[in-house]
Amino acid sequence: MTNKVAIIASNGGLFDAYKVFNIATAAAATDQEVAIFFTFEGLNLIHKEANGHLPLPEGKDHFAEGFKKANVPSIPELVTMAQEMDVKFIGCQMTMDVLGMEKEAFVDGIEVGGAVTFLEFAKDADVTLSF
Amino acid sequence: MNSDKMLDAKGLACPMPIVKTRKAMNDLQTGQVLEIHVTDKGAKADLAAWSKSGGHELVETAEENDILKFWIRKG
Repeated sequence: MTNKVAIIASNGGLFDAYKVFNIATAAAATDQEVAIFFTFEGLNLIHKEANGHLPLPEGKDHFAEGFKKANVPSIPELVTMAQEMDVKFIGCQMTMDVLGMEKEAFVDGIEVGGAVTFLEFAKDADVTLSF
Repeated sequence: MNSDKMLDAKGLACPMPIVKTRKAMNDLQTGQVLEIHVTDKGAKADLAAWSKSGGHELVETAEENDILKFWIRKG
C-alpha cells in the first residue's frame, strides 16, 4: 500500500532543509510517494549553488560542529538521495518569476508549477506537512 | 541468528539507516533476512516502524557495546 506525503518547503535555512529532506527521504524509504513544493525562501533548498551553504539561524553557528559530529549527510547529498528514491520536486513558478530565477539555477529534474500543481498532488495525500 | 545479508550502518545519523536498509532490502527475496548494525539510537523505534509499515517482520534485536543489531525478514 502506497501512501502519499505532500510537503511545502517555504523557508531557506539549514535547519529548515534538514526538516524537509529528512522527512522526505524517510518517507520515500518507507515506500511512500512524496512531493515537495518549494516556494519563496524554500527554493534555496534546491538551488544548485545556495543549497551547499545554507545559513544556520542567527546565533546558532556553534551547531555546525554538532552536524559534523553527528555525521549527518550534507543537504546536496540528501537532495540526490531523495531524487534517487523518486521524490518529486516542484519549484514555485511565481516565486521564480518574482526573484528572476530560471529553472537552470536549480538541481536537475525539478518540475516547475504553480500552487495548483501542488494541490493536485496533495488533494488525496495521507500526510501533508509545511516547513 | 542467521541472515542472508548484512548491512553495516554504524556511525550514520537519521535518516541514513532507514535509507540504507531500504536499499539493502530491495536486493533480498521474500522470506530472506537482513541483519543491520547501527549506532543511531533513534533507529530502534524507526526500524520497528519501518518494518511494520512495509509488511516486514522484525524478528530479533540485540544490543552489544552501543551497537544496535536488528534482524528483519522481508515480507
